[in-house]
Amino acid sequence: MRISVEQRLRRPRWLTVAVPFGSVVFAFLVAAVVLVVTGHDPVSTYRQLFDAAFLEKQSIDQTLIVATPLAFMGLAAAAAFRMKLYNIGAEGQMYLGAITGAAAGLYFGGRGGPAPFPIAAMVVAGMLGGLAWALIPGILRAFFRTNEILTSLLLNYVAGLLLTYLIFESESYWRQTKGFNATVFPTGKPLPPNAVWPGWTLHVQGGTTIPLGAFFGVGAAVVLWILYRLTRFGFEARVLGDSPRAARYAGVRMRRKILAVMAVSGAIAGLGGASQVGDFSHALDGDPNGLQKIGYGYTGIVVAALGRYNPFAVVLIAFLLGGLENAGNALQGPSFPAGLVGVIQGIILFSALGGEILSRHRIRITRKTTHDTAAPARAPEPAA
Amino acid sequence: MKTTRRLVLAALLTATVALIGASTGAAKHSAGPFKVAWIYVGPHNDGGWSQAHDAGRLYVQKMLGSKVQTTYKENIAVGAQFNQAVASLAAQGYQMIFATSYGYVTPQIAAKYPNIKFEQATGTLVSKNVSEYFGRAEDTIFLSGMAAGYASKTGKIGDVLAYPIPEVVRHANAFTLGAQYAHPGATVRVVWTHSWFAPAAEKKAAQSLVAAGVDVLGQNVDSPATGQFAESIGDPWVGYDSDSSKFAPKSWLTASVYNWGLYYLKRVKEAMAGRWTPGFYYGTINDGFTTLAPFGPGVTAAEKAKILAVEKKIENGTFYEFEGPLYDQTGKLLVAKGVKMDVLKGGTNSLYGMNWFVKGVIGSPKG
Amino acid sequence: MNNSLLVVLVASGVTYGTPLLFAALGELLAERSGVLNLGVEGMMLVGAVMGFWTVERVHANAGLTLALAIVVGAVAGTAMAAIHAFLVVTLRANQIVSGLALTIFAGAVGLSSYLGNNLNLADIPATHSFHALLPKGMQNLPVVGPILFGQNILVYVSWLCVIAVGLYLSRTRPGLNVRAVGESPAAADTMGINVTAYRYAHTLVGGAFAGVAGASITLAITPQWVDGITGGAGWIAIALVIFSFWRPELCLVGAYFFGALQSLAPQLQARNISLGPTVLWTNSLPYVMTIVVLVVVSSGTARRRLGAPSALGVPYVREEH
Repeated sequence: MRISVEQRLRRPRWLTVAVPFGSVVFAFLVAAVVLVVTGHDPVSTYRQLFDAAFLEKQSIDQTLIVATPLAFMGLAAAAAFRMKLYNIGAEGQMYLGAITGAAAGLYFGGRGGPAPFPIAAMVVAGMLGGLAWALIPGILRAFFRTNEILTSLLLNYVAGLLLTYLIFESESYWRQTKGFNATVFPTGKPLPPNAVWPGWTLHVQGGTTIPLGAFFGVGAAVVLWILYRLTRFGFEARVLGDSPRAARYAGVRMRRKILAVMAVSGAIAGLGGASQVGDFSHALDGDPNGLQKIGYGYTGIVVAALGRYNPFAVVLIAFLLGGLENAGNALQGPSFPAGLVGVIQGIILFSALGGEILSRHRIRITRKTTHDTAAPARAPEPAA
Repeated sequence: MKTTRRLVLAALLTATVALIGASTGAAKHSAGPFKVAWIYVGPHNDGGWSQAHDAGRLYVQKMLGSKVQTTYKENIAVGAQFNQAVASLAAQGYQMIFATSYGYVTPQIAAKYPNIKFEQATGTLVSKNVSEYFGRAEDTIFLSGMAAGYASKTGKIGDVLAYPIPEVVRHANAFTLGAQYAHPGATVRVVWTHSWFAPAAEKKAAQSLVAAGVDVLGQNVDSPATGQFAESIGDPWVGYDSDSSKFAPKSWLTASVYNWGLYYLKRVKEAMAGRWTPGFYYGTINDGFTTLAPFGPGVTAAEKAKILAVEKKIENGTFYEFEGPLYDQTGKLLVAKGVKMDVLKGGTNSLYGMNWFVKGVIGSPKG
Repeated sequence: MNNSLLVVLVASGVTYGTPLLFAALGELLAERSGVLNLGVEGMMLVGAVMGFWTVERVHANAGLTLALAIVVGAVAGTAMAAIHAFLVVTLRANQIVSGLALTIFAGAVGLSSYLGNNLNLADIPATHSFHALLPKGMQNLPVVGPILFGQNILVYVSWLCVIAVGLYLSRTRPGLNVRAVGESPAAADTMGINVTAYRYAHTLVGGAFAGVAGASITLAITPQWVDGITGGAGWIAIALVIFSFWRPELCLVGAYFFGALQSLAPQLQARNISLGPTVLWTNSLPYVMTIVVLVVVSSGTARRRLGAPSALGVPYVREEH
């Protein structure tokens, strides 16, 4: 008896939906086993997770606070990964975007002027900051063939050190120096009021505020979708990702594409950083126990992978995973184990990865003695 | 289009689960025990800062039993995560929250939950429902520095420090002054790890200090890695935050220890009785806020007696380590003879704003 | 003399480079077979926690317990690697994403944290830990004393591993086979080499090495357990494989180089030597230098990257006839 994995000729549409759905269900089942084995009741745990994520008062508000940066990080990762450019550096690009965005907010906000202007300046500055940081691994990859995974990752650490340095270890422009509190503990200079990003408050759940950044995130998803689906740029990027050789024969210029895609990816991450400052912290957060501790950039990669790099799916999954993170924080305590959220996330991701193959291949069990007239030989398709 | 279908199905999934969830959810309300929560920036069992707070929480739970319901949240980052933690605690009816790291409690979050009493450690914000607490660790750190000074043969001591912020600088100064009190002319070499808790970095720092010639190690970081290294080479060690003698039984001298529990119990009782008012609490040895951990085998009886004698004098106010004359690293007189440095008053020369090292410290206060 | 900056740096390089060396050797083997495993950090963390757990729970003499702890760490790493191997070899999933998923799953906010907290391993000193093996007299010899003789047994074992892996790859039949698998799985398959089996085997062994690397941190370098105790060492190990052109002996040099680099800042600080204009420069130096090294190594004059297995990262699909 032989188990062989054969490629499907056609991918049935229903499978491409059923498989991710099934993967998540499978993941929750596996996680339920983990919970039972460790003495927790899975049904009540899941219900608590869901309540905390979406149903309780203010829960959607809190979920959005996590989902917004996750969406940016997921979109940044998706933009690059789609072309097989593994930009792990969204975390650091977000920090740079926060730095440049905060600078723009502090500078232009203080000079008066109508409210939209400082915010627009922050958006542009944030995007430029992230873009510039992403171009470092981009240039190293395009011109020096250096693996972008490692360079972008190492630069995350450098960006974190820079962020801490600006607030904790220097008297920089970003640092609050006025007032007694400033001498006690290092904090960032607060944004002037007209540089603070507004939100849209719905009267749901006792007042839910949708931050401006969330709208930008959806906007970024739309732009990314248009870019990859409707423009030649996107088409070439996708071809490059699927088959570099074919792209080269077609005359696609590798180096430019690499730089351009890294720039797009970094700009989105940088916008996420500006959103962190404008929507949430209202100052540059250089505390090593603050923004740097959370790791949005790395979770964003999970979001992008689960969303199969489709921008709209990424936004939706950012919302759902944001709910999971929020719920994890809400639930954790003496009775709820630490580390469980990461375990569940990992299981979901593994299941999605494993399920991926089912939509593209089918498993056939044949008897060894059969000399069958199977389908004619096909060239193996490179897996995504 | 397959994307649309996928999205529709995902939305259906969410809606289905929502319906199930909504139909089985129930409101959570309970009169009864007073609910108070702690929020930690690190793991509750980090053997350092957060664990000391958790010990205080357990003390409150023990002393008040069923009259109080306590819980904690750990690894909560400053900022959005803290706000989330507060939101979920509020939804569960918690009435008092001890926030154990600087920057946790902002005016916005305090205003959002006016009915929750916030207690913030090491901060400065005081308002209608926000109170601050910290304490004179510098007193007990001075005493632990004395132990280091006595234990040192060469007068060269090392100190492993975290971040170049006033709190750490002040503690390092107290340690140095104590070492010099016991061993005149002693110097303290410092290395910064740029982290509150990083065992490998701390060990490297300790190794580098020893290679540079120190024979006693101290620290203002949260892991016992320095002590483990000290034990492995037979050098004496002064810890921080808690009694970590089990990590280095032979090297252990002592440490400055925070007894958060006594303060916590007091405040919880006040809140329960409706007598809670916000303020700025700066605990001392007298009220038990800071103490010295038990001495290790390397401290002789005579040295113990001398250290405890100074402790007594601090308690009754006849001795204060941050009383002038105090010189900076260049030898310039910064605090005149007889002048006592104050915690808050005195601008940048207050203890809370201390950003200069005293004479005898080798290293930069800027990191 | 033994406290001079150079001697201390080299000695530190050997000490702190050893976990990097173990992890890099393992990753090197996996990559030689064509499997890229980015989950090294996660595997190290699980090996670290399970090795520590063994030492706390097993009540035997020090030597036996420590040996067992290393074995348990290796097994734990292998178990994690098995997930990755199954996903990328059998199910042909994307190797990059799978490795990252493994890091998240097993990492500092995942399984290793879960295990460490639920098994109550925090805030306790290791009951047994590795100490320097040779007598103090030898350790105090000038220069070679601290560098060579002041190390624990894991360091000496790592040297044997370097030799073993080197001989395996260059002198044995399976070693040559795995290189074929990594270069061109289709050709290897035609020659009758079982690509699947080789990839599985080398990925699992890679996991074992990573587990040992993690255990060496909680049992030798800082004998305690905390969340995320590896502190990014897994990523440095992956960089190390590239740096070493996939050759074990260069792994050793590189590991000690990176280990020394990590000790540079504190050593200079302690001697009050200022390394650069700001603290930021000093702290960033290890990472910046790693990037510089990677760039230099990756560009070179040769068109293709020297030594990289050509089929690295590409799932192998056998054609059906």
